[in-house]
Amino acid sequence: MTEETVHPTEDLAGYALGALEGSEGIRVEHHVATCATCASALAQYRAIVSTLPMGLDPVAPPPEVWAAIRAEARRRRLPVGQGAGSRGRPNWRRAMWPVLTTLVASLLIWNVVLQRELTRRAPGPAPGPEVDALSRRPGRLVILAGTGQPGASARLFVAVDGGGHLAISGLTPLPRGRTYQLWFIRTGASAVTGGTFGVNARGLAWAKAGVPASLDEVRAIAVTEEPAPGSVSPTGRHLLEATTWR
Amino acid sequence: MQVGKESALEGLYARYGGLIFTLALRIVGDPELAREVLQDTFLRCWGGRDAYDPARGRVPGWLMGIARNRAIDLLRSRPHQARLREQEPLAGLASEPAQRDATDSLTLRRAVAGALQELPIGQRQAIELAYYGGHTQVEIARELGEPLGTIKSRTREAMERLRAVLWPLIEPKGGG
Repeated sequence: MTEETVHPTEDLAGYALGALEGSEGIRVEHHVATCATCASALAQYRAIVSTLPMGLDPVAPPPEVWAAIRAEARRRRLPVGQGAGSRGRPNWRRAMWPVLTTLVASLLIWNVVLQRELTRRAPGPAPGPEVDALSRRPGRLVILAGTGQPGASARLFVAVDGGGHLAISGLTPLPRGRTYQLWFIRTGASAVTGGTFGVNARGLAWAKAGVPASLDEVRAIAVTEEPAPGSVSPTGRHLLEATTWR
Repeated sequence: MQVGKESALEGLYARYGGLIFTLALRIVGDPELAREVLQDTFLRCWGGRDAYDPARGRVPGWLMGIARNRAIDLLRSRPHQARLREQEPLAGLASEPAQRDATDSLTLRRAVAGALQELPIGQRQAIELAYYGGHTQVEIARELGEPLGTIKSRTREAMERLRAVLWPLIEPKGGG
């Protein structure tokens, strides 16, 4: 019986609560990606989890908080925003078009590069519709350099909604019982895993990667070698690493 | 929400600001930190850094997820506060009444509170330590001195009970 046919019934609730550790979470994540029954149950659990705060006695936030949020939001205003400051709006709108045009062009180029990259680097079966769809979404590219393994490199494609995948080259194939693992190293918090993967005989791989909702607290993205099926926190040295991506 | 649209942000705040502050306060146990979480949650929505994906659930769940992650991060970065939280009872905090917005169904609030109250203490503990405490099941098992399998079973049983009561109330009707 394969991993895909063993439903992780006992772990779905823990996964919805964000209470599973490294390899457990990865196993559930991989399973629900291909199991409609468990994906449906997980969606219901997630909906239930989102209602839990409603069981608390409500506490009103300080009244001045909204004003602070609004002021900061205006300071950070994005090109598509609409605000009370109508005086400067026409000039600002005119200035918006070159920015939007550049942005759209950049996204198109990025998607083309990503498609080529995936095709070129994929050593296994061709990426399925899910990966194809993922690669069409806008996002950003993080380059991981072979700090611990000269000649190796990886590219992490991060979609704006957090989905992503990893294209790797130059890593050594591992023996049974060992795996490569992607990590998001955070400041003041434990590292979060983005998944495990192996490479083929040519040292290549592409793998779907879990990416934290925000990279703001992430100070490094790294790949280590770990005991299979993966570790709760990194134990190996950083074979690949990126510390800048903004 | 259309990213960057102030009226949309204000609408979200009016509907969910109180709930997010309540959740954040429950997790971090400090009004100043809860305020920080609240502000950060809405500014992340505004900046589009945590984009909403309809495939992963509805807006309240998305917002609660951002707020909870931020609050847990703060909690973990402040060990002394984590210890403080562990000493507190798991019941709701004493609070001043909030203005309840129209969309927060009183029926659902009562149902959630009632369903949690009805859970056997061990099951409720497993849910609350995970959701509000940000603990993993391994950590909960260690903390309570119970086998990991017991914690997993309690969590699943609790979630099934909650689902039986709450899902009919929140199940999307028709095309959603």
